[in-house]
Amino acid sequence: MSDEVVIPVSALRRHQPRFSGLEAGHRACLGCGEALAARLVTEAAGPDVMYANATGCLEVFTTAWPDSAWRVPWIHSLFENAAAVAAGMEAAMKAQGNPTKVIAMGGDGGTFDIGFQALSGMLERGHNVFYVCYDNEAYMNTGIQRSSSTPHAASTTTSPAGPERMGKRHLKKDIVSIVAAHHIPYAATTSVAYPSDVRKKVRRAMAIDGPTFLHIHAPCPLGWGHDGALSIEVARLAVQTGLFPVIELERGGVAGVMPIREIRPVTDYLKIQARFRHLFADDVRAREELEHLQALANHNIELYGLRGDEADALDSDGADTVRRGGMRWA
Amino acid sequence: MGIKMTRGAIAYPGTSLEFKTGSWRVERPEHRHGAAPCHTACPAGEDAQAYLALVEEGRFREAWETIVGANPLPAVTGRVCHHPCETSCNRAQYDEAIAIHDVERFLGDQALKEGWTYPVSAPPASAPQVAVVGAGPAGCSAAYHLIRHGYQARLFDALPEAGGLLRTALPSYRLPRDILDREIERLLASGIQFSPGHRLGRDFSLDELRADYRAVFLAPGTQRGVEWSIGGQTPRDLHVGLDLLKQWLSVGSIPTWRSVAIVGGGNTAVDLARVLKRVGVPEVHIITHQSIPRAETAGGPDVMPAIHREVRQGLEEGIVIHEHRGVQRLVLRGEQVIGVELVHMKKLPDATGQRRFVTFEGTESLLHVEQVIPAIGQVLDPTGLEKIANKKRFLKADAWGRISGQEGLLVGGDARGDRGTVSEAIGDGRRGVAAIHNFLQSAGELQETERVLIGYDRLNLNYYEPAPRPEAPVLPVAERTAYQEIEGGLNRRQVMGEGHRCFSCGSCLACDNCWTLCPDVAVLKTQETAADGSHYVFDYSYCKGCGICAHECPSGYIVMRDEL
Repeated sequence: MSDEVVIPVSALRRHQPRFSGLEAGHRACLGCGEALAARLVTEAAGPDVMYANATGCLEVFTTAWPDSAWRVPWIHSLFENAAAVAAGMEAAMKAQGNPTKVIAMGGDGGTFDIGFQALSGMLERGHNVFYVCYDNEAYMNTGIQRSSSTPHAASTTTSPAGPERMGKRHLKKDIVSIVAAHHIPYAATTSVAYPSDVRKKVRRAMAIDGPTFLHIHAPCPLGWGHDGALSIEVARLAVQTGLFPVIELERGGVAGVMPIREIRPVTDYLKIQARFRHLFADDVRAREELEHLQALANHNIELYGLRGDEADALDSDGADTVRRGGMRWA
Repeated sequence: MGIKMTRGAIAYPGTSLEFKTGSWRVERPEHRHGAAPCHTACPAGEDAQAYLALVEEGRFREAWETIVGANPLPAVTGRVCHHPCETSCNRAQYDEAIAIHDVERFLGDQALKEGWTYPVSAPPASAPQVAVVGAGPAGCSAAYHLIRHGYQARLFDALPEAGGLLRTALPSYRLPRDILDREIERLLASGIQFSPGHRLGRDFSLDELRADYRAVFLAPGTQRGVEWSIGGQTPRDLHVGLDLLKQWLSVGSIPTWRSVAIVGGGNTAVDLARVLKRVGVPEVHIITHQSIPRAETAGGPDVMPAIHREVRQGLEEGIVIHEHRGVQRLVLRGEQVIGVELVHMKKLPDATGQRRFVTFEGTESLLHVEQVIPAIGQVLDPTGLEKIANKKRFLKADAWGRISGQEGLLVGGDARGDRGTVSEAIGDGRRGVAAIHNFLQSAGELQETERVLIGYDRLNLNYYEPAPRPEAPVLPVAERTAYQEIEGGLNRRQVMGEGHRCFSCGSCLACDNCWTLCPDVAVLKTQETAADGSHYVFDYSYCKGCGICAHECPSGYIVMRDEL
C-alpha cells in the first residue's frame, strides 16, 4: 500500500485513547491480576489524583529503584499505614482548598491484616479517601504466606496441605461487610475479569465526597498455581461459582449485586489452581472440604440473591460481552 | 531536571519504560488470521466471515465485492446452494448457525437493485486469449476469473443463452429467471467475449481451440443420461428425468400421468417430482436406495444427495419418498407399466469392507404407478472430446482441474464426475483460472493459501451472547406455484444483525479485549488499521508473554508462538 504510514511503537504509546497512570516496564509476574487491576483503576480514576500505596507486591514491582511505573503522584510509607497516610494527604489537600482526590491502595495483607486499624480509623473519621484493596488472597510478595483473606482450604507456605490439615483451616475474612459496617457511603467488590464493572465502580467511588472502598479480586498465577494466561479465566470462575460475590453496599445496606446467569460448580474454579490441588486427592477430608467450599458458595448466592432470573446484560455472563469495534469496556 | 509534564504525564527518563520487560519473554503473542469454518467449507471459496464483518458495519457494497472476489453469482448461489457454510458454522454449536445464505442473497439482490458492477476492468487487446467451453456455472466462473486476472476470455456455449443448468434444469420457484438473467447479463458485460450457439465437435474442434488459445477450460457439463433398465426392461415410452425437467423449463409443459415413480435420490429427482406435482400429477413417488436427508445427516454417506431443504419442501408438498428401496421389477400388462416391484435395500460393507447393495428377501411390495422415470445421473457427452475422454464417463482431473498429460487444458464442473453442485462448479472455475494463470506465468508450484482452521474450541465463548437466528419467509404449501419463488429473503436490519451475531472466527473483532486485559500495557491500539489488518500492535519491548490476550481473544485471532 502506498499510503501506508509507519508509526513507531514508542510514538503510538503516547497516543493511546485512554489515560494510563501505570506504565509498562513494571516488574509484575506474567499474567499478574493485581497489575491489571491497578492499571484499570488508574485509567478510570484519571489524572487528577494522588496515591498512597501500602507495602506489597504492587509497591515493589512498580518502583524498583531507580524507576517508577507511576505517572501520577504516588507515596509509599509503610505496610500498615496507607490509609493513615492517605488521610493526612487528604487533610492537607483540604487545607489548601485543592480538590484533587486521594486514593489509598493496598493488597489483602495491607488491608485485611496489617493496615486494618489505619483503614478503620480513616473510615471512622470520614476522610474523603477512596481505598482500593487488590485481593490476591495471600502475602505473595514475601512468599505466599496465608493472610486473613486466604480462602478456606487453600494451601499456602504457612497453611500447607498435608497430613494434618487440608490447607487453611480458617475462613476468608468478610472485609467488605466489616468496612461497610463503618456506615460509609459506598463499599463494593469487583473482579479483574469484569473491567467494565471495575471502571464503573471506580467512577462511582470517585464521585462521592467521603470514604469509599473497592475490593478487587485479582488472581496471582504464582501464588494460586495457575498459568498466567488463565488469570482472567480464574477470576471469572470465582464470580460464576459464587465464591467471590460481586456486590455494592451503601451505608451498610446491599445496593446492588451482579447476578450469576449460569452458576458453575466450585470445582470448576478450584481444579485449575494448584493451591487447591489437594482437594482432588482420594481423601475423605478432601471430599468434605470440597463440599464445604460449595456450601460457602451456596451461602453467598443465597445471602446476596446472586441467582439470575434470566439473561441480563449486566449479569456474570452478559457483563463481559464484546462487540465489533470495541469500546465495550468503556 | 525541569521536565515539563504533559497532562497525560507521559513517561520520561526515570520511569519504568527504561526497563524492557520484553526480555523475560519465552512465548510471544501474534496475530494470525485463521480460516473460519464457513470459509473452509465453501465450495466456491467465499470468505463469509470477511463479508459478514462488512455487513455488520452496513458496508454492503464492499461486502458484495468481497464475495465476487470468489463467486460472481451471489444472487444465484444465495438461493440454490446447499450452504455447507452454515452446517460448519461454529455458531451452530453455540445456538444457531449464522444465516449466511440469506446474507449472500441479500447482497446479491442489492447489487442487482443498485446496479453494482464487478471491481474488474476489461482486459487489454494484447492480453493472452483463453477459451472456455460451456457457459454453465463452472464456465461462467472461469470466464469471469480470467477477466479478473487480466486475460481475454472467449466463452462458447451450444445454447443461445448462457447459464447452463441454472437455466435449463433449475425450476424458477428455486431460482427466478429475472435474477438469473441479470446476474448472467452483468457477468457477460464484464469483458467476456461470448459466442452462443457454438457447439464443440460441430462448430469447432478441441484441436482448433488448443491451437488458437493459450489455454482451454472445459466445462461441458454432463449432457447424457446414464443408461437405465430393470433386468433389460424399460417402459415403452422411456423419459429421462433431466430431459423432462429441461423440457418443462424450456417448453412449459410435459406429459402428465396419474401416478409416477421417479428412481433416484439427487436434485434432479426431487426437482422433477415437485414439478410433476405442480403440473397436476396427483401421486409422485421417489424411490431411492439412500435415506431421506435430515439437517444433521445431510451430506453424509448413504444419504440422498439432494439438498436437504428441497427434500423437506418436497415432502411438505406431498411427494412420497420411499427410502432404502430399490426397483426389482417393472410390472407390465402387455407393454403397459402398471407398477413397480419394490424391495428394501441398503448399501452394506461385505467381508472385504467394500460397500455393496444388499436386497432383503421378503420385503418385496407392489407400487401401482403409470410411469417410471429414471433420474439416476448424467454422464459426459464425449462428442468433440473423444481424444481425451477415452470412452470414460467423465474427464478426470486434479484438484485444480488440470488434465494429466494435457498442458493448458483444464476441466471443471459436472464433467469432472466428482462434483454435483453449483457452488463446486463455481469453485472449479476459480481454481482452474488460478492454474491457468500459474501455467501462463510459469510460476512454479500452485498453492491454495492455507490458513489454520479456527474450530469451536479456539473461541472464547464468554464474550458472546446467545441471539436467535432470523427466519426468512417461506411460501405456505397451498400458495406454491410453478413459478413463484418459495423462499423469501431477510431485510437489511436482519442481515446486519447476522453480521453482529458472527463470531468472526480467526479474524480481529476490534473488541479491545487484548488492549483492555494486558497487565503490562504491552498492547497498543492504533487509530488506523495496523499492517496485519487488526487495530492493535504488540509492544514486544514490554510484553512478558503471559498469554492473557491470546486466551481471552474471543475469535482465536491471537496465538502464542514459542520463542526459545
